[in-house]
Amino acid sequence: MLLFALGCGQANDSEKTQSKKTIIGVTMLSMQNEFIVNVSDEIEKKANEAGVELIMVDAEHSPLKQVEQVESFIAQGVDAIIMNPCEVEASSPAVTKAVAANIPIINVNSETSAQPTAFVGSDDRESGRIAMKFIAEKLGGKGNVVMIHGYIGQAAQIKREEGAREILKDYPNLKLIAHQTAEWDRAKAMSLMENWIQSYSKDINAVFAQNDEMGMGAVKALTDAGMKDKVVVVSIDAIPDALQAVKKGTLDATVFQNAKQQGRNAIETALKIIKKEKFEKQQLIPFQLVTKQNVDGFTR
Amino acid sequence: MPFIKKLGQYGIIIAFLAICLLLSFISPRFLTLSNWTIIITQVSINALLAFGVTFVIITGGIDLSLGSMVAVTGVVAASLAHPDTYPVVVPVMVGLLSGVLMGGLNGLIITKSKVPPFIVTLGMMTIGRGLALILSRGRPISNLSNAFNFIGGGSIFGIPLPIFILIIAFFICHILLKKTVLGRYIYAIGGNEQAAQASGIRVNKVKMAVYTICGGLAALAGILLTSRITTGQPNAGAGFELDAIAAAIIGGASTSGGTGTMTGTLIGALLIGVISNGLDLLNVTSYYQQVVMGAIIIGAVVLDSWNKNK
Amino acid sequence: MPHPPNFTLQVRHLTKSFGGVKALDDVQFDLRIGEVHALMGENGAGKSTLMKILIGMLKPDAGTITFEGSSLQNCDVNEIMQKGISMIHQEMLVIPELTVAQNIFLGRESTHWFPNWLDDEAIDKKAQLLLSQMGINIEVTTQMKYLSVAEMQMVEIAKAISNNAKVIIMDEPTSAISDKEVTTLFKIIRELKAKGVAIIYISHKMEEIYAIADTITVLRDGRYIATKPSVELDKKSLIALMVGRELSDLFPPQTATKGNVLLSVRNLSSKGKFSAINFEVKAGEVLGIAGLMGAGRTEIARAIYGLDAFDTGEIFVKGQKVVITSPQDALKNGIGYVSEDRKGLGFIPNMSVKHNISLGSLARYTKIGFVQTQKEQIIVTQTVKDLKIKTATINQKVAQLSGGNQQKVVIGKLLLSNPEIIILDEPTRGIDIGAKFEIYKLINELTAKGKAVVMISSELPEILGMSDRVLVLSKGNQTALLSKEEATQENIMRYAIH
Repeated sequence: MLLFALGCGQANDSEKTQSKKTIIGVTMLSMQNEFIVNVSDEIEKKANEAGVELIMVDAEHSPLKQVEQVESFIAQGVDAIIMNPCEVEASSPAVTKAVAANIPIINVNSETSAQPTAFVGSDDRESGRIAMKFIAEKLGGKGNVVMIHGYIGQAAQIKREEGAREILKDYPNLKLIAHQTAEWDRAKAMSLMENWIQSYSKDINAVFAQNDEMGMGAVKALTDAGMKDKVVVVSIDAIPDALQAVKKGTLDATVFQNAKQQGRNAIETALKIIKKEKFEKQQLIPFQLVTKQNVDGFTR
Repeated sequence: MPFIKKLGQYGIIIAFLAICLLLSFISPRFLTLSNWTIIITQVSINALLAFGVTFVIITGGIDLSLGSMVAVTGVVAASLAHPDTYPVVVPVMVGLLSGVLMGGLNGLIITKSKVPPFIVTLGMMTIGRGLALILSRGRPISNLSNAFNFIGGGSIFGIPLPIFILIIAFFICHILLKKTVLGRYIYAIGGNEQAAQASGIRVNKVKMAVYTICGGLAALAGILLTSRITTGQPNAGAGFELDAIAAAIIGGASTSGGTGTMTGTLIGALLIGVISNGLDLLNVTSYYQQVVMGAIIIGAVVLDSWNKNK
Repeated sequence: MPHPPNFTLQVRHLTKSFGGVKALDDVQFDLRIGEVHALMGENGAGKSTLMKILIGMLKPDAGTITFEGSSLQNCDVNEIMQKGISMIHQEMLVIPELTVAQNIFLGRESTHWFPNWLDDEAIDKKAQLLLSQMGINIEVTTQMKYLSVAEMQMVEIAKAISNNAKVIIMDEPTSAISDKEVTTLFKIIRELKAKGVAIIYISHKMEEIYAIADTITVLRDGRYIATKPSVELDKKSLIALMVGRELSDLFPPQTATKGNVLLSVRNLSSKGKFSAINFEVKAGEVLGIAGLMGAGRTEIARAIYGLDAFDTGEIFVKGQKVVITSPQDALKNGIGYVSEDRKGLGFIPNMSVKHNISLGSLARYTKIGFVQTQKEQIIVTQTVKDLKIKTATINQKVAQLSGGNQQKVVIGKLLLSNPEIIILDEPTRGIDIGAKFEIYKLINELTAKGKAVVMISSELPEILGMSDRVLVLSKGNQTALLSKEEATQENIMRYAIH
């Protein structure tokens, strides 16, 4: 496991005594999202091992709720906060407030425009690049691509699109003929794909879906239309469903985002800060392309 | 003046045809058989919910828990639909039963307490959502049997099964509403509950029936959705009640009760589906779709109140 | 008239309380087969409570009801209907979106082929037959919402009859129908009598009672007072029994002196409603406006008060021309209006007496946007006293008051905005005799204070008893302006049907 340490920082002076049990507040984007749940599960596991108490809450996709949750943590006097942000801009006030209250706050998986004490995640641009590169090579640099977005405005969506477009620029014969949001939802992606099949039918050569749920929806629509073998589908996250699909060959590739590693590093960093040890300010955990060849290494 | 009155009644059909006409000019793919097959399949889930809520709206009530019922029933059915566990009739029956129970619970609370349906079903919506999360432990349930997935994904004679289900459900609901005594009582209660009571109609029994039927149809929609995406998702159906109610209102049902038809609701649901499909074909973002939808609902309601004041 | 010997319905010791108030106290009632039995009493006397218990909508606290020998003790609405007791309610209990035929057979639909499968053809046919037998000419497939109030009432009657009722309770059946239709109704009643159907008839209209009823029972304040054959009870005695005291005259004497012209209307016209209306009203004067339903009287009032626009014509207040396009304008010019639709336009049912009365004149007790509740309390209490409004407290909801007191609340509200010209539209409709008298006294007090009163009424005795002059309308046209001497029943009728 390679860790990119892009900067180091010392823990802030904390007046808190270490005699009582350490409490860490954790707010996650959405506990209905399997990937996020994997991250939080790992945080919980590591916290239990370290004997640390967690207050874990679900922000249910709402930045407003998330800010309120962080305010509540601050009022409760937690030792540190781990936040999986809902939105880049709208969740930033939470970071600002925590920093102002001298409580260390660690962003996990997603970014905010405000600077947290530390960040653990993966660079979503990388995942977009990996996915689109795969498509480019599979199509021999030539063909029509459609892109299915997540919630417009979320960091993951913005970054994954950025990465994808970087690659598109390098391949002038690769055309993006349509793109729309399906809001990370499988059913919505399926309907969207069905409608696109009506519009473009045989013109579509590849589909890039920004997460696996949507990717699976697109796969279903293409399979129903009997077009799956002619269209390349790539998505991101490597959830179990997607891994099964890659193994079967219905999904051409997915990109593994190491949820466990993100969770583990987030809580370890939080503990380091609390114990006033040296820690890394930014940890980027790399993505991995998952294809039929290496999929067995990822299935549990 | 009579012409305008007729126009009002048929207004929704005219609007529907006009939009279809417009879209067929703008996009050559719109009028194809395959596109229409897609539209009707996509519409089937909302239409089933809309039929159910039409019954409720005609009695002067409302049901906001539709989306949550879709989630719960989907999760329940999915958990019983793994390959080589139970025959497919089990997840289907149990799923339907769970919807009937939730709808029945709605009906029970509404008839026994004086709490308005809006509040009761709002509470059920939240409870249902939590229930779906509890039953599924927060994770989507996949790996469903082929037989189960066939319900939402299979075809007979080239026509997707959901379309058959939609047509059969439509006829049953239509006949129930127009041709049976229960249907007559549904209209009566919505038209003037006091008068219905004074005529000896058992108002509470009818209301119970209406909410229970709605729950059953929501369960059918939940099973359809789950088998279509081959996953039971605890967060499915969020906001579905709004589209269903919109379809009913566009189709002529009035929130003050007493009016509404299954035909109108079907056209309302089709209208929503057509707009969604058409705007996707034209590559217009979903945000504009919401604006268009809202404008149509307001238009339908305004037309409806004009008609009433004639 | 032959007197049938058998009693079909017997009520003994019936008692019912709501919250600590006794609505019925040890009431008795006997009904004979084929009898038209009028139930009379002021509002709040207990008539509707008694009826609601009879049809099973309420359960009594004590007492017995025997119908055709068996007890009605534990029966519900359905069972009582099936036994043969039907009621035609005062408020139209109809389903507007359903057709005439569907309304008539609501709850008793014919089915065929499968259980619960509607046989609409049979329902329509039966309804058509029924209406023709009754001589009512309405298309059975019309939706109820398109019928006039009078037609709806006819359909309600048909419904009760189709139930093969043995006892039909009619609650204010003629409140909204024309004289011609009243004649039809009485014809139907007599036919029912001949078939042995008993009818309980509730109405405030004395002439009707004496025209159709065999027997009269009087209730007062929840207690049973007396039952007498109608031929043995003259009007004065009846009123005395109802009110509990002698009412020397139905109409209080007028003592006002007439002053200057306060309101003058010239050539007022509104297409389709009324045309070329000309009249004046002086201070201290009561101008009655008579005419048949639909003659345009309410429309004229609404035009003057600014609720509706009119096409041509001018309105002068105290000699000055005024432009009125809204009720605000009217009130500013000293014109007030009490509508015939008390419930609809008059008061807010769920608000208190106090808030209702002060509503039209809030500016008087408001300082920088805040309502001075003490001042409001004082003024409203005075008004309630002056108008003798019967209410437990001024914080009581107006919906709970009797019709007469509700009307007084509406008038009280109006008076607080100090109008000079007061237009009253059917001021005593649906109000019992005692309360009517109070309203008449009130009108006299207003004229004595120098106000001008315009009174629209469909009750000829009221017009004759209260007006100084009478304006008669027919189909939107002004057919006569009669002085007190010229205003006789025959003259008014003649000009009304011109």
